[in-house]
Amino acid sequence: MPVKVLAFAGSPRRHGNSETLLDWVLASMAEEPEVTIEKVPLTEANINPCRGCNACEKLNKCIQRDGMDTYHDKIIEADCIVLSSPIFCMGLCSQVKALVDRAQVFRSRKYVLKLPIVPPERKGKRLGVFLATAGQIWPYVFDAAVPSVKCFYHVIDIKDADISYLMVNGVDEKGAIERHPTARSDATKLGKMVIAEQKKRLDAGRQV
Amino acid sequence: MTITILGISGSPHRHGNTETLLDSFLDGARVAGASVEKVVLTDLNYAPCRGCNACHKTGNCIVKDEAPGLYDRILAADCVAVASPIYSMGITAQLKGFIDRAQYLWARKFILKTLDFSPDHIKKHKGVFISTAGQNQTNVFDSAFPAITALFHGTGFDYSDNIVANNMDKYNGIKNHPTALQEAYEKGQQIVRELEKIKST
Repeated sequence: MPVKVLAFAGSPRRHGNSETLLDWVLASMAEEPEVTIEKVPLTEANINPCRGCNACEKLNKCIQRDGMDTYHDKIIEADCIVLSSPIFCMGLCSQVKALVDRAQVFRSRKYVLKLPIVPPERKGKRLGVFLATAGQIWPYVFDAAVPSVKCFYHVIDIKDADISYLMVNGVDEKGAIERHPTARSDATKLGKMVIAEQKKRLDAGRQV
Repeated sequence: MTITILGISGSPHRHGNTETLLDSFLDGARVAGASVEKVVLTDLNYAPCRGCNACHKTGNCIVKDEAPGLYDRILAADCVAVASPIYSMGITAQLKGFIDRAQYLWARKFILKTLDFSPDHIKKHKGVFISTAGQNQTNVFDSAFPAITALFHGTGFDYSDNIVANNMDKYNGIKNHPTALQEAYEKGQQIVRELEKIKST
């Protein structure tokens, strides 16, 4: 069964550590049959921050017309959504935070308007992957980013238990991740594992 | 000596709960005799950090917009009160976008070693975080604190207090909260008195 992967490269620095980590995961996924991947660098996605107007609580859509018009639909259509971000100032970079905040329309749909995010037959069949890199070596450097990531996946109907994480600290200058002892093999393993699980879920759906 | 207080509102929603709470803090400070200014980030023209690391070599940001000017004003203030509502368990993308732009100060401190804040300087500069959240969980602010810590450490401020109020959805707005606005007002007065005392010694 075909698997649709939508991947956001969140870093403003193209082809840096977090994007390289993402590329390794996507390359591993692409080796599997019937996997289609769309990679979106957020610097080219034209996604503005949320204005906090709460209009989506009534309109069921955002009043802003920008790149999110496209990615809103793609987020619903994808089976697996991968998000990568570098850690800036102990959190997601602001470009990724803007995407996360713009998921407010899904929150309004789910909790205020009580409407479905995906059709019932696709519920529980979507997976999330969060990839991050940080220059600092502190083990807690990712802690403040994760709750926002969980919010993002939660409102697009991907449960906490269905999110996989690969977060690599101690990689700062461009290319540093290439010298990391395990990042590449961990990313490759993760890509394979996620696609295997994704296929299992989609196949299970087909048999019912 | 007049104490200078700079309020920075990171909410895109004008005159909402967070900005109202910030205003109450600033009113208290004004009444206590401080010189008070407020900047609303949505009125400021600035782009997010590009992560280019050019500042690691030069100590300056290559993006020419209004962010460095606001950092100059932060560095010149005795107290900075930075405010953001909680969106998706963190500060707004607008405030995060501004905080990420402090990278050139980080570079000056840790790479180029051209910037240093003495313990005495830090003691005389107080940073306050002001926030509201719709949700009622008490941990709803936890993931916002580390970015605020980064901002205040990077600019030489003693991150001295949080003025936060959760459960806004239930209260139907900050104006119906039993204590938050009064607490912010009193803390605004207090911080001016404290800074006057510290600076006179």
